Amino acid sequence: MSVQIVKQGIMDTLQDKGRYGFQHIGIPPCGYLDYLSAQLSNVIVGNPIDAPIFELHFPASSFIFKEDQTICISGANFVPVLKDKSVAMNTAIHVCKNDTLHFMQPLLGKTCYLAIKGNIDSSLWLNSKSDFIAQIKTNDQFNIIAWDADINKNNTLVDQKLESSIIDKVQKHIFNSNEIRFIPGPQWNDLSTESISNILKQPFYTSLNSNRMGYQLKGPSLQLMEEKTYLSSAVTRGTMQLLPNGELIVLMANHQTIGGYANIGQIILVDLPKLVQHKSDTLFHLNLTNVATAHSEYKQMQQWFS
Amino acid sequence: MTKIFSNFNWNVQTLGDHAIQFYLPPIMDPRVIGEIKNFNDFIVAAAAKGIKDIIPSYHSLTLIYDIELMNTPLDLANDLIEKYKNQREINLPNKELNKIIDVPVCYDEIFGIDLISMSSKLNLSITEIIKIHTQNIYQVYCLGFMPGFAYMGDVNTKIQMARHPQPRQNVSAGSVGIAGAQTGIYPMHSPGGWQIIGRTPLKIFDKDPKVLSKFKMGDQIKFYSITRAEFETLNQNELK
Repeated sequence: MSVQIVKQGIMDTLQDKGRYGFQHIGIPPCGYLDYLSAQLSNVIVGNPIDAPIFELHFPASSFIFKEDQTICISGANFVPVLKDKSVAMNTAIHVCKNDTLHFMQPLLGKTCYLAIKGNIDSSLWLNSKSDFIAQIKTNDQFNIIAWDADINKNNTLVDQKLESSIIDKVQKHIFNSNEIRFIPGPQWNDLSTESISNILKQPFYTSLNSNRMGYQLKGPSLQLMEEKTYLSSAVTRGTMQLLPNGELIVLMANHQTIGGYANIGQIILVDLPKLVQHKSDTLFHLNLTNVATAHSEYKQMQQWFS
Repeated sequence: MTKIFSNFNWNVQTLGDHAIQFYLPPIMDPRVIGEIKNFNDFIVAAAAKGIKDIIPSYHSLTLIYDIELMNTPLDLANDLIEKYKNQREINLPNKELNKIIDVPVCYDEIFGIDLISMSSKLNLSITEIIKIHTQNIYQVYCLGFMPGFAYMGDVNTKIQMARHPQPRQNVSAGSVGIAGAQTGIYPMHSPGGWQIIGRTPLKIFDKDPKVLSKFKMGDQIKFYSITRAEFETLNQNELK
């Protein structure tokens, strides 16, 4: 079984849950940008929740399937078309040998996932298949390997089992919210009073200058109380750094492991997919939350998939 | 085995919903790095459940954790600080700490593309810049920016220079640069703003999981000057 890239997109990669344990030597964690949509797609197709998956941005790659396969498309809606027919999102779809899949237009969101039932064969580097620099390219071919019996036993096709209400909940959480929550960071108190008030009251939108390393935010110009430099410390996905030009950048999966800009807060993990999917034409607000809320919502959402 | 008493006072703060950060006063000092290395090694050995990454930097140590495997991160953090303090005497792996890694650098102007402009700005001959850069033993404070990139210090004030205001689009792998009090080597081709003074023929980062980064936090580095011919020979050996 295999799948081939007919035509490459601009920024499509293979991703899994990421590469941990090597940030102390400067290796970024990588992994899914919108992990909730990726997990949803994997569960719908009957894969382990953290299986490797194709992550697509518009204009996205086109695919041809070399055998019959089961696939699922989740996350951003780029209007997927299978053999000239539009197909549904967040549903297990049976594809036949030589079927082609392409994406027409970026209708909703920014990052789309294509899950294929089985394990996408690609080289494992430091316990992960996540692409760091590489992208998927025209004519690349990936074998799809059936899960061995043990895994399969616990991960039979769960399309029927995953209630549609859960799919709705995930979709609404990611796409129907203009509130993104964060926990104040080490340099939050170095912000001017006016900047703190502006962060919490004024709307923001994502700059076109956003990618797997970080999303730049447009909004009120922010300042520190006094000019200050910081010794670099570790940053993480969701870290909100204040750039010298007064703008915020939120670090994403391919972030540098340490940073020297003011760390004013961290977007909580459950709200990161919302930011990932926010296009520059929609506004959102940044609101404060705390660790307990972030943990309880994270655990609750992971429960949805189990 | 050297034994020392740790009198550093560790603090801890949460960093969002999946990280905690231990920190000391923000100073760039080899003694602080020694302490961070001790605490880092202690935490690595403690192997607490749910820790995905342990990331040291100049004055901090950050743990990335799995939310589902960690109920009370701050309790764990305070517990680790307590146990570390109670250990009182820290076993220093002094063999490792005293080891100096010698790094050959060709300071030819063809590689050291900023040497000429530095020479005029600093009022020093290129020979003097090279002499000063190769005199110090540098400490690796931390790694970051890209895989294997080690931030080393401290550079003699006579040859300190700020980054270029506009980073170059492409700095060659092996390029040795200066940024203020720091010096470092680009492990691979990348954009970069440091003042480039030479190039090492050594492979600084190797994708082979058994090799990876040539340097780690706490290492001591000494640069020595080599000729173009020696560079080419050593480079051939490295590529094999």
